[in-house]
Parts: sequence; structure tokens; C-alpha cells
Amino acid sequence: MATTRKYGREHQVLESVIALVVILVACVELCDAATVVDVYRLIQYDIGGVPFGSRLASLNHHAGSSPFSPGADLSRTVVVVPIRELNITFIREYITQKQPLGGLLFLLPHILNSKNRDYASGGDHREKEIMRSTLLELEQLLIHSNIPYPVYFAFEDDNIDAVLADIKRTDATGQPATATTGGYKFVVLAQEPRKVSSPTITNIQGWLPGLKPDGETNHLPTIAIVATYDTFGAAPALSVGTDSNGSGIVALLEIARLFSLLYSNPKTRGRYNILFGLTSGGPYNYNGTHKWLRSFDQRLRESIDYAICLNSIGSWDNELWIHVSKPPENAYIKHLFEGFLDIAEEMGYKVGLKHKKINISNPRVAWEHEQFSRLRVTAATVSGLSVAPELLESTGGLFDRRNFVNEAAIINGIKLVAESLARHIYGYQGKKIQIFADDSNLAVNPSYVKSWLDLLSQTPRVAPFLAKDDPLIVAFKKELADHTREVNVQHEIPDGLFTFYDSTKSKLNIYQVASVTFDLLLLLVLGSYLILLFSFLVITTRGVDDLIGLFRRPASRKVKAT
Amino acid sequence: MTMFHFFNCAILTFGPHAVYYSATPLSEYDTIGTSVKAALVYLGTALVKLVCLATFLNVSENDTYDPYQELLKAFIGLIDVAGLYFALTQLTHRNISQNHKFQAVGLGWAFADSVLHRLAPLWVGARGLEFTWDFILQGLEANANLVFSLSLAALGSLMWLRKNKPRTLIPIIYLCAGVVATMPSITSYLRRGLGWHLMKVVGFELFTSLVMAFISWQLFVACQRPSV
Repeated sequence: MATTRKYGREHQVLESVIALVVILVACVELCDAATVVDVYRLIQYDIGGVPFGSRLASLNHHAGSSPFSPGADLSRTVVVVPIRELNITFIREYITQKQPLGGLLFLLPHILNSKNRDYASGGDHREKEIMRSTLLELEQLLIHSNIPYPVYFAFEDDNIDAVLADIKRTDATGQPATATTGGYKFVVLAQEPRKVSSPTITNIQGWLPGLKPDGETNHLPTIAIVATYDTFGAAPALSVGTDSNGSGIVALLEIARLFSLLYSNPKTRGRYNILFGLTSGGPYNYNGTHKWLRSFDQRLRESIDYAICLNSIGSWDNELWIHVSKPPENAYIKHLFEGFLDIAEEMGYKVGLKHKKINISNPRVAWEHEQFSRLRVTAATVSGLSVAPELLESTGGLFDRRNFVNEAAIINGIKLVAESLARHIYGYQGKKIQIFADDSNLAVNPSYVKSWLDLLSQTPRVAPFLAKDDPLIVAFKKELADHTREVNVQHEIPDGLFTFYDSTKSKLNIYQVASVTFDLLLLLVLGSYLILLFSFLVITTRGVDDLIGLFRRPASRKVKAT
Repeated sequence: MTMFHFFNCAILTFGPHAVYYSATPLSEYDTIGTSVKAALVYLGTALVKLVCLATFLNVSENDTYDPYQELLKAFIGLIDVAGLYFALTQLTHRNISQNHKFQAVGLGWAFADSVLHRLAPLWVGARGLEFTWDFILQGLEANANLVFSLSLAALGSLMWLRKNKPRTLIPIIYLCAGVVATMPSITSYLRRGLGWHLMKVVGFELFTSLVMAFISWQLFVACQRPSV
């Protein structure tokens, strides 16, 4: 009786222990990867409902690398492609033929990493050019395709190089990695990408009023200097757009600083108001500029003498371009261009005039000045680019990083624009006076330019992912407030043609996994080990007869029954 | 697949204990109570050791071999022997022969050691996707530890429970017991001082455990002859 009660208690304890174990087993698996890498997702967006870019974010497949055996099934493989060895035709084929892949991971060269402190502007020029054109082609291919699997970018470093070398080695033996042959598993834990709910584009303007002489009732004329500050690229978390249009922003801020110095003293304050505008929505047909201009008072708009738009002045060598939409014979344009020409000659550079007519029925806006021209305001764009970019081209892509930009070019651009502005304001056209001479207290400050350029080359600026109170926008506001009298921030909703999806940056976990066959083999080995151990112990402690007896028990009972 | 690996490593680590219990006559005589009591004594011993280590040991920053610290750890390891003494002599066992007593105590001791030292790392580590050989090596170490515990329990029962031992064998018994008791210090010296790879250390442990088991078995048989 006592024994049965004891057994009952023991049974209960056992049951509760089993229940506890079952609960513990149901716990979430802990992830403890050997390597964790920062990865940046390809942009996902719709234009008018048509999907583009990579439509998935989470990844959980084995890794593989080229060269592949022909006809290999890659629908459950993540293909790792270093950009150095990129075969663009292979990728193009895969994407245009809509072949299924588990995922794509592009490895960008280490030199492009902005965390890499030595901005080697030297180095092999030809190599850089090849890299630049490769990345350009790849970027244009990716952003104009609809890709149903995740595409990520990562920077090469020692860890991932070692993993890639390992993958290539095992792939060379001919067996691609799958669940039964081991290898590396790439896991990105990401939620399903959702639409960015209410994207805003923010325009920041600074107003520097001119000197109104006593007794004048007319309003002073205004000159506008504008630059777009947002970017668009294949990897939005990497779109820092150092040249397009970081160079323009830096130039605008430096010009604002110089003129605020001039205007701070009433004796040197000009008879023009200067309006500085940092606009957003540049890649989307300069949508922000359009809304900014529409918000202007009629009188203000009419008082604008002309507007200078700054775009990509960071990588020109000795020729800068002035793009206009009014015909070159127009008096204002002539006057403007001659001003630039004089100064450029003095500095030893060339400027060229490019005329591109606006087609009102075409919604495509190639340059920022076209938005001004559509409202009958004289405007021109100063740019290092000689040809008008297409939609979503030259908007700060993968290759537009710090080491492709030349500070000296920006400084020359600043000098050119500032001098022409000053000569117009103070009436010194045609006279060889250098207002912003080097070694004067109005000299262009190279460290100011450098520090802002460095900051901008580490800040991705894709407009839908910049919140209204983003630190960058606050910084621009503060900087303009330092240099100008009045600062206004305008938040707008972009026209609904473009929709964006979030999840731009994740962490990739790389696991080295053993195959299922390995585990099965291990189970077999362990099973036989335990059976051997059992038999050994039975034989040594109880004797061989007992071992045989274990298997013969049912037979012996039968014998007994008869 | 990863639960599979955890299952494999678990049966490697804990399987032999269960197999030992069911294969030998221990299961027939229902000595589970003794094993459980021995496991509890091990828990108590581990607690005492922990307190002593925390009080007397200073943690070094790097993983170098410090002879004084190791000597201290070896002394504290002798608490293990005291615990085993307590389990063998002081606990009231049912009427089981000496032969089975030391086996049950050794089994309980080894099982508690494995659970305390190896279950948590196994649960946390072996279920992840990442594959390492560490857990399989840990399982092999648990096997070696089982054999060591049984040898130590056998030598302990010879030293403290058996009254009439042949004179010549007594020093050998004490020597072997000393070797088995200081085994943890020896392995830690090999790992840290000589920098042996984990696989080599585990191999050494397995080999030594078999050798010591054989020697203690011979000693046990030798001591058994006169009393028969």
C-alpha cells in the first residue's frame, strides 16, 4: 500500500517535470551567429502603382556564389556577388528573365565605406572610372526592375571576405549548399516592408534682406539661390549623394555665410534681398521646388530678379556649365552669362551655356531652374553635369561617395557664383575686382566646406525617410538661422506618384550550419555506441546469458504456458 | 534540425548514465534512492565549493595559467572527496552490497555533475543554427567524467568501507585516489598552461579514465579476494 502511494507521488512529480520540459522546448530559438554584418536593402517603391525594386525583406537561405553549374536551381540560394568581379550581363539576364533566386547580396568595395577614414582621392583613376560605370549600370538596372526576392548591399570586410572564400571553395567541389550538404546560412530577420505612411518633403528657406534706402517705397529686388538636398539611390540607407547634391548644399551654405558677413554691416549691405532655399523632392521632378514657389506671395515672385540653382558642382575639372531654359539671346540670360564668363576667365576656367527648351506638356522636369521658368522667373542652373539627367539619374547613387568628390572644385564653384552675385549686387560688372579674394576676411573657408561635406557624405537623405524633425533638417535650419535674418520651414506632402516602403537597413546573420545528413550520421553513431555500451555492461556484470535472455523472454513464457 | 543536434548531444551527455543504470544489476536491486541521495550530496558539495572559490579566489583578467590559483583550486577540489566520503559512509543506504553501493553513489555523483555543468550550456548553445564541435566534445567529457566518478567511488569505498585490505595495496589505493581526485586540476593545466586544443584534452581524459577504471577494478578485485 505504502509503495503504491509512493509510486503515485513519483508519477505526479514526473508528469509535472515533463510538462515543464515541454514548455521550455517551445521557447524561441536563440540566435548566436558567428558573423553579423550590416546590410542595406535595395529600394522598394511604386510609381503610380507600378512596383519597382526589391519586394521582400526577410531572408533565410543558404549562400552560394558564382560560377554556377548550368541549370542549377538557385531559388533557395542567396547569391553573393562582389562588385569587383561583377558580371553585369549575368545579373541582367537573371533579372530580365525573371529567374527565381533566394536572394542577392552585393559586396561593395571597402574603399566606398564612409566609415573608412582615409578618403584616398588618389588611387588608380582608371579603376575608379570602371567602378563608377559598373555601379551606375547596376544601379539603373536594379531600380528599374521589379525583383520578387530580397536584394541587399554590404561592404566588404575581413569577416565576409573569409565567408565568401569558404563558399567559393565548397562550391568549386561542385555541390551547391542545401539543407543536406551543410555550408553557410544567411538569415535576415526583418518584418514585411510597409508603405511609408505620410512622407513629407521639407523646404527650408533663409531670407537676407537688403538695404532699403530711406524714402523708397518700392520693394527691393530679390535674388534667389537654391539647391535640392535630398537624394535617391539603389540603397536608400547608403544614398549620401556627396556630389548630387551635397556639393550644392555646401556651396549654398558657404555663400550664405559670405553674404551674411557682407550684409551684417549696413555700409556693405546691398540693395538686393537674397533668398536662400534648400528644397527637397529633387529626384521626383523637383516637386518640392514647385510647391515652394507656389507658396510664394505674388509680389515676392515678381520681385525675383533671377535665381541660381546649384547642382553637382563637386567633380568638374575645368569646365562648368550654365543650363538655361530661356533662349540665349534673351537679354537677362546674356547679362548673367557674361558675368560668369568674365569671372571664369579671370580664374582660368571655362563656362559653357546650354539651352534646353521646356515642354509644358511633358511632366518631366530635368533641372531645378525649369520650375522657376514655368512661373516666368529667370533662372539658371550651375552644374558640373553637361547633359540633363533622366528621371532618377544622378540623384546620389551608390558610387556618389566622398572619395569621388573634389573639394577644390566646390571651392572654385563657390567663388564663381559668389563673385558673379556680388558684382551684380554692387554694380561691379566688367570691373576686375575680387571681392572674395583669398587671404581676405571674406575668403572662402575651406575647412567650413570640408566639414559640411564630410557630414553630408555620411548622412543618407532620401526624402520619404526624413522625418519632419530629422536632425539634419534641424541642423540646416540652425545654420541658415546663423547666416540669415529669417528662416522658414515648409512641410509639404509630395504629389502621390511615388510611394516608398520602409525597412532599408538590417543585420545579416551568417551561420555555419551542419547538414541534416551529418546529424543523422551522428544519431546513428551515438545509437550504436549506447547499444554497445549496454551490451558490454550487461555481459560484464550479469553474463552473456542475461543478454540473450533479454531477447528470449517472450519465447520462454510461451514455453511455460504449454 | 538544431533541436536534432541538441537531442544528439543530450543523449551523448546523459545517455550513458541511464544505460549504466539499466544494464547493470543496479536496476534489479532498485538502487535509485541511493543515486538520488548521492546527487543531492553533490549539489551540497558544489555549493560549498562555490562559496570557497568566491571567497579565496581572485579572478584574473586574461586566461593565463597561474600556479597559485590552480593550487588553491586543487585544494578546494578536495571538498569533492569529502562530499564523496559523506555520501559513501554517512548516508543510510538500504541493504545493498558494497559492490553496488559504490556504483550507485558514483552514478548519482556523475549524473549530478553532468546536469549541473553541461545541461545549461547545451540548452542555450546547441539549439542555435550555428554549428560547433564543442557540444559533442562536452558529451565525450561527460562520459569520461562518469568513468572517473565510478573509479573514485570504488577507491573511496575501498579506503573507507573495507576494513581488511592487503597491506601492500594500501598506498597504491591512496595514490590512485589522489590522481583521480586531482584530475580537474590536471586537465585545466593542460588546457591553459600547455595550451592544448579541446579535442586533445578530451582524448586525454577518455584515455586516462579508462586506465584509472582498469586499475581501480583490479584493485577492487584484489581486495575482494581475502574477504570472500
